[in-house]
Amino acid sequence: MENPLHPFELHNFIQFSLFGLDLSINKAVVMMWIVVGLVAWLLVSAGRQRRLVPNKLQSLGELLVEFIRGIILDTMGQEGMRFFPLIATLFLFILFCNLLGLIPGTYTVTSQIVVTAVFAVTVYGLSLVMGLLLHGVKFIPGILVPPGTPWWLIPLMVPIEFVSQVARPVSLAVRLFANMTAGHTILGVLFGLAISGGLLIGWLPFAFTIAMNGLEVGIAFIQAYIFTVLTCVYLGDAFHLHGSEGHAP
Amino acid sequence: MPPSSDPFYAGLGQAVRIGTELLAALIVGGGLGWLADTYLFASSPWGMVIGLVVGAMAGVRNAYRFAQRWSTDGTK
Repeated sequence: MENPLHPFELHNFIQFSLFGLDLSINKAVVMMWIVVGLVAWLLVSAGRQRRLVPNKLQSLGELLVEFIRGIILDTMGQEGMRFFPLIATLFLFILFCNLLGLIPGTYTVTSQIVVTAVFAVTVYGLSLVMGLLLHGVKFIPGILVPPGTPWWLIPLMVPIEFVSQVARPVSLAVRLFANMTAGHTILGVLFGLAISGGLLIGWLPFAFTIAMNGLEVGIAFIQAYIFTVLTCVYLGDAFHLHGSEGHAP
Repeated sequence: MPPSSDPFYAGLGQAVRIGTELLAALIVGGGLGWLADTYLFASSPWGMVIGLVVGAMAGVRNAYRFAQRWSTDGTK
């Protein structure tokens, strides 16, 4: 049976390095270019005509933009709209990476933890910088000591809050990476069973493959959605300190 | 879109989130403890033991905080 982790291996098409950095072109890089091109083409051509009664492409673009706007307004409120370009880019890139990766023969870029970790660290770093700019130095004790903590609990709460803060980018990165990798591994195992089972019994895992593919489409949406929502939540926490305890209006 | 409209997918998303929340805090806590053991003090294995305990606490706290937010969303 074929190794189900085989689809995750990367082989360089073009060896290329600059100033000691390995900038080789491989399947993942080409997939990222395709995704960027596709998203850009989709939104540019959807927004070009601006009809009062939208055609199919324009309604798709409006649906996506309205959806992202809804997420931002729900979690961050009106002041979060200044992050709309960042959040829309993240959502669309992750969504299209997840969806295009389901086409057999392509590569799921988000199954590489490097990609998801860079997104997560960028988002978390941005939330820290925003908090420091808005609240000054008192932002650091503000996130480490939750409001209403009795003084004798502070030595216990500070390490716990510190770990839970560091865990934010880790969980953000690991969740997306693990879901994508696990889903594609299951598909690989089932398909390997279908091939090695032959006609007699192989139809059963093959049917499961089809069902799993349907579930994976759902997972692709969910993971892009969760990543976006958490991005908004973390950035919103930087806006209103201790906003995570209550609920944003 | 599936995440917002279909309750099955919405619930799946919530469940997946809580699981990773617990796991990530545990990894970070244990990892920080291990780093302190290996590079800062020669205190193995106590840094990792304390780190794992603190990580477990932080994970439960994160999951609790998330569930709290979820319940306020649900009653809205």
